[in-house]
Amino acid sequence: MEQSGTSTRLQAAVQDLASGVVSALRGGDHAHVVPPAGTDGEAGDLALAAVRVLGADALLPGLLSRTPPDPAELAVFRKAVEAYPPRADAAPTVRWSHWAMARTLRRADPSSAEPPDEPDTAWLDDATWQFVTHQLAVLAPLALPGEDCAVSRLAAGRPVDVARGFVRAVRRRDWRQAAGAGRWLTLLPGVPDSVGLEAGLDFVELMGGQDPLVALQVQAARRMRTGARV
Amino acid sequence: MRTDEKVIKEVTGIQAADIEAALDPVEADGVYRDSRQCAALALLSGATKLLLSPPTPRPKKG
Repeated sequence: MEQSGTSTRLQAAVQDLASGVVSALRGGDHAHVVPPAGTDGEAGDLALAAVRVLGADALLPGLLSRTPPDPAELAVFRKAVEAYPPRADAAPTVRWSHWAMARTLRRADPSSAEPPDEPDTAWLDDATWQFVTHQLAVLAPLALPGEDCAVSRLAAGRPVDVARGFVRAVRRRDWRQAAGAGRWLTLLPGVPDSVGLEAGLDFVELMGGQDPLVALQVQAARRMRTGARV
Repeated sequence: MRTDEKVIKEVTGIQAADIEAALDPVEADGVYRDSRQCAALALLSGATKLLLSPPTPRPKKG
């Protein structure tokens, strides 16, 4: 299906933002990557929308390095949370992504409002391992050390399924899905050693790492494997 | 267009549908690796056990 011009520009803006997050996670840049507020017009709109699409990971470097959030960066993040609430009929991943942002905002700034009630995970209750892995990969920003929410509890109950999904994604050359699943596997208990997660993540980076959205998940997984906490 | 969509578009200039599509992507079509890439994976994995290589193609009988 052909994408609209807006959609294409939005994807480019998300990739730019993800590149900044990757750089910060690698330690090659400061921990603040969200563009400053004050950019008007389409560029500002795109930047704000890109923050909403990248979601909670936009603040991941500061969260993992325990760097106090920059007020201007936090203001943009907050604006993205407030400007794009999920619609009543939004897909579960859209609702969970928004919840994750609200939760991250609260973590970064305890004076922020409490996050809304968690959405449910009913859509994954009887889902196949392939679908569960795909959805968890989309919700990779929820894969954080110590995170306790319904999605992370569901993932913790299906480590073998996620491992199978990781292998399947690699074999299908779906690097984004593989990277997201690999990030989850880094945190899940009971992952079979035979999956070869470390080498698998290296391979995902080798093959798909030119995509900043892949590199972001691989770098996040590496940081968390070294014991980074939020 | 619904009222809330209009508000979002006025605020950001971006269609809510574009954002929701990005946040709820369908699974990409699979493209299976060729033997050269399997070899690269085997080299990369070294002595570790991996389940990533597809089975060797064998001729069909009959």
